[in-house]
Amino acid sequence: MATISLQRLSKHFGTFSALHELDLQVRDQEFMALLGPSGCGKSTTMNLVAGGIDASAGKILFDGRDVTDVAMGRRGVGFVFQNYAIFTHMSVRDNLSFGLRMRRLHRTEVDRRVSAMADLLQLGPLLDQRASGLSVNILQRIAIGRSAIVEPAIFLLDEPLSNVDAAFRAIMRTELKSLQRQFKQTMIYVTHDQLEAMTMADRIAVMDGGVLQQVGTPLEVYNEPRNVFVAGFIGSPGMNLLEGRLYEEGGAIGVDLGVIGRQRLTEGKQAAAARRAGLADVLLGFRPEDITVDAGNPGALKMAVSFVERIGHRVVVHLDAGAQQVKMVARNGFAATLGAALPLHPQADRMRLFDKASGLAIGVE
Amino acid sequence: MSVEAVKAPIAPVVVQAGDAEIRRLGLRLTLPAQLLLAFIVLFPLVMELYISFTDWTPLVGKNWVWAYRYWNDFDNYVEVLTNARLWGSIVRTFVVMIVCVPTELLLGLGIALLFTGDFFGKRFFYSILLMPMMVVPAVAGYMFFMLFQSGGPVNAILSALTGSQVAIAWLSHANLALAAVMIADIWQWTPLMFLILLAGLLGVPEDQLQMATLLGAGRWARLRHIVLPRISRILVIAVAIRTIEIFKIFDTLYIMTSGGPGDSTETISVYIYKVTMQDLEWSYVATIALFILVVLSAVAIPAIKRFGAAR
Amino acid sequence: MSKPSWGSEALRYALILLAVAIALIPILWMVSMAFKPVEEWTDAGRTLHWLPIHPTLDNFRFIFGGSTSKLIVSLDSTAGWPILASLLSATLGTVIAMVCGTLAAYGVSRFNAGGNLPLALLQLRIFPPMAVMIPVMIMWSFLGLVDTWYGLALIYGIVTLPFSFWLMKTFFDDMPRELEEAALVEGCSRFRVFHRITLPMMMAPFASAALLVFIFNWSDYLIALLLTTREWRTIPVYMASLSSSMTGQLYGAKAALGLIAAVPPVVLGLAIQRYLVRGLTFGALKQ
Repeated sequence: MATISLQRLSKHFGTFSALHELDLQVRDQEFMALLGPSGCGKSTTMNLVAGGIDASAGKILFDGRDVTDVAMGRRGVGFVFQNYAIFTHMSVRDNLSFGLRMRRLHRTEVDRRVSAMADLLQLGPLLDQRASGLSVNILQRIAIGRSAIVEPAIFLLDEPLSNVDAAFRAIMRTELKSLQRQFKQTMIYVTHDQLEAMTMADRIAVMDGGVLQQVGTPLEVYNEPRNVFVAGFIGSPGMNLLEGRLYEEGGAIGVDLGVIGRQRLTEGKQAAAARRAGLADVLLGFRPEDITVDAGNPGALKMAVSFVERIGHRVVVHLDAGAQQVKMVARNGFAATLGAALPLHPQADRMRLFDKASGLAIGVE
Repeated sequence: MSVEAVKAPIAPVVVQAGDAEIRRLGLRLTLPAQLLLAFIVLFPLVMELYISFTDWTPLVGKNWVWAYRYWNDFDNYVEVLTNARLWGSIVRTFVVMIVCVPTELLLGLGIALLFTGDFFGKRFFYSILLMPMMVVPAVAGYMFFMLFQSGGPVNAILSALTGSQVAIAWLSHANLALAAVMIADIWQWTPLMFLILLAGLLGVPEDQLQMATLLGAGRWARLRHIVLPRISRILVIAVAIRTIEIFKIFDTLYIMTSGGPGDSTETISVYIYKVTMQDLEWSYVATIALFILVVLSAVAIPAIKRFGAAR
Repeated sequence: MSKPSWGSEALRYALILLAVAIALIPILWMVSMAFKPVEEWTDAGRTLHWLPIHPTLDNFRFIFGGSTSKLIVSLDSTAGWPILASLLSATLGTVIAMVCGTLAAYGVSRFNAGGNLPLALLQLRIFPPMAVMIPVMIMWSFLGLVDTWYGLALIYGIVTLPFSFWLMKTFFDDMPRELEEAALVEGCSRFRVFHRITLPMMMAPFASAALLVFIFNWSDYLIALLLTTREWRTIPVYMASLSSSMTGQLYGAKAALGLIAAVPPVVLGLAIQRYLVRGLTFGALKQ
C-alpha cells in the first residue's frame, strides 16, 4: 500500500506563502494530477512530498507513517525533475543503474533490470553512450527509467513532458500510464497542461495561489467546478460566467441577466439550494460547448457577436452585451456576422450557479 | 511647385581593415611582449649553450666571451649526469613534491567540502583561510623559522598536547628540517588548492546531487560518483599548477634553513643557487639549466597542448 | 536538501575553526613578536608567552633607525630604503607587465596574433628562474642594471608577463565583440575603439590584474637577492640580511619588518578575491 496523506501542509518563504494549508489524500495506486497555473504551488507541493524542502507547517504521511521529518534519501520516492538532472558525465547505462547500484544489487540482477527497462523505453542501442548531448526525448526517457527502475511505491513527476515534442508526448503519456499500472505505483503528476491532466489522471487537484481549489475526477472537475477559478481554468475556453440576480416567479427560480435576458433554472439541487440560501447576486455558469442558437425560443439570451475565431475544426464565437462576455464553440462552417445579435440557449441541465461574493458554487458544502 | 530630384543618400563607406592590416596591427600589439620574451630567452640560451662546453667561471678573471679558451667538451654534461649532490637535490625536490602536493590537495578538498552550502560567517572564514597564500613567501619562511625554534610555539603546542616538555631543535636535524619545510609549504599553499577546488565544487549541479540523494546515495557515494568525476579536470589543473611551483621552491625554504643542516633541505633551486653564488661554477650551472629546459619542454609542451585541445 | 543534523553542523564548524586557527597562528605569532621588546624575544628556559607582556613599538622604531633599547646597537642601514626599493621596483614592474601584457592579450584575443606567444608565456612560468639567472646577471651587469630599482623592475615585468597576459586575455575573450564591432561599423578607428569602448569596460578587471601582478613583484626574493647588492635591496632581501652586533637573531625587528612587507599583499589579495582563481590558473578556471 502506498497512500499519501497531506495534512494542513504549508510552506512559506519569508512573507511569501507558497502553499497554504493543503489537505490532500492520494489513494493507493492512484494517478493524481496537480494542475494549475505557474506559481500555484504545485512544484512546491512535490518538493515537500519528496523531502527536498522542509514544511513550514503540517504533516506528510505515507501509508499512515509520518515522514515529515524523514530525510530525502530515505523516503523511498521516485522523482523526475523538470530538467531531468541526468548524470551527464556517466553513460546511459550507469544512469539507469545508479539507484540499483546504490542498493548494492548483484551485477547480474542490475544488468537484467537495466536491459528490461532499456527495452521498455527503447534505449537499448544507446546504453553505452555518454548521457550528455542526447536529445530531449531521450533524456526524458532516461530520467523516467532511472527513477522507475528502483520500483518506488510512490512516483513524483514534475512536468516531465513539457519539453518533449508534441508528437512524442502522446506516446509518452501512454507509456507513463502503463508503467504506473505495471509497477502499481501511486503517482503524483504536476502539469500546467489540462489535456494531459484530463487524459491521464484518476483524479485532478486544481491549485491556485498556493491554495487547493478542488479535487475530483476529470469529469467532476469539468462538469461540477467548485468555484469560479476551476470553472474558468478547466476547459478551453473556460466556463462562461454571467452576472445576474436570482428571482422567483410563479414558483420557478431564474437568473435575471439584465439586458441579456432571463434564464429559467430547471428544478434540481442547484435551484433548491439557491432558494434555501436566499441569495441574490449570483454568477451563472455554462460551458461554451453547451450553447445552441435557437431563434424560435422566446426565452433565449441575446448577445451580439464581437469576434469570430475560425480554428479549423471548430469556431469560437465571442459575444458581448455591455460589460459581459460569452464565448461559444460551434462547428466548422458556422455562420456568424459581426455585430449580429444571436439568441443563445445554454443547455438547461448543464448550468451551474456560483455565489458572486464567495465565488463558490451554490449547493456545495 | 517644382519637385527637385532627391539624390539617394550614399551609403557610408565603411573602411574595414583588410587581412593584411589586421595582421600588421596584431603584430604591433604583440611586439612588446615578444621582445621582452626574446630578451629573456635568446641571449641566455645562446650564452648557456656556449659556456656549457667550457670550463669557464668568473674566477678566471676574463669575460665570458673568452670562454672558448677553456673548452672542455662534454665534461659538464657528464658532471650533470653523475654529480651526487645534484641528484640528491633532485631527489629531495621530488620527495617534497610527492609529500606536499597530495597533502595540499586532500586538505584543500576537505576544507572545500566543508564550505559547501551556506552557513554563518562563511565569507569571513573564507577570507581568513585565503590569507596564508598571500603572505610573502620570504616572510613566511621567517615566520616558520621563528615557529620551529627550540623554545618556539611549535614545541610549546606539542608540549601542551603530549604533557611533556618538548624541545626539539627542528631546524638542526636533517629529517626534521625537511619536515618543517614541508609543513611550511603545506601551510602556505593548501589555501590555493582550497580556492581552486571550491570554485570547482560550486560548478557541480545541485539538482544532480539531489537526484543522487533521492536514488539512495549517501555523502560518500555522492562524492565518489558525482562530485569527483565532475571536478576531475579541475583537480588536474590544481595539481599541475602546484607541482610546477613546488619544483621551483626557494624563498621560504632558503630563509628557513639555507638548505641545511648540511644539504638535508637542499632542493634543486637551492643547490643551483649555492653552486652559482658560493662555488661560482657557472658553466656547470649553465649545463644544468639546459638540461632542465630540455626536460621541462619535453614534458610540459605536449601536456599543455593536449590540455588546450581538450578545453 | 533536508537540513543537516545538529551534530554534523557542529562538526563542520569545529573543523573550520581548526583550519582558521592553523591559518592564523603563524601570522599572529609574527604579529605578536613584532611588538615584543628585546627581553621577550626568546623565552629560553621559560614557558612560552603568546602575547607580549610589555607590548612596544620599539622594533618598528629600530628598523627605521632609532631605538630606545640599549641592548641593540643600531643598524648601518634602515628599512626606509628597502621599502622604497620594493615599492618602486614592484610598481614599475607592474606597469611594464601590464602594458606589454594587455596589448599582447588584445592582439591575441581579437586578431589571433602572436603565434606561439601564449604557449611561450606559460613555459616561462614553468621554468625555474634560478636556471637563467647567470645569463641574466651577466646581461644586467653589462647594461648597468644591477642594483638599480629600474633594472629590477625590468626583470619583474618580464617574469610576471604571463600573469598579466593570460588574465587580460581571458577578460578580453569574455567581453562581447559586438560592442566593438558596432563602433567599427560606425567608422571609429581601431585605436579609438580600444580607447573609448574596450578600456572603460575593462577598468575593474585591469585593476585586479595589476594588483595581482603587483603582489607577485612585491613578494619576490630570489631575483632581488641576485640582482641587488646594497643600495636597492628590497624588503625580503634586507630582512634576511638584518643583523647586528648583538648575538642571536633579531626576532622582533625582523618580525616587524616582515609584518610591514606582508600587509600590502594580504590586503590587496583580499581585495581581488573575485579574480584569484582565474589569475592563478592562467584563465583555465573561472570563479
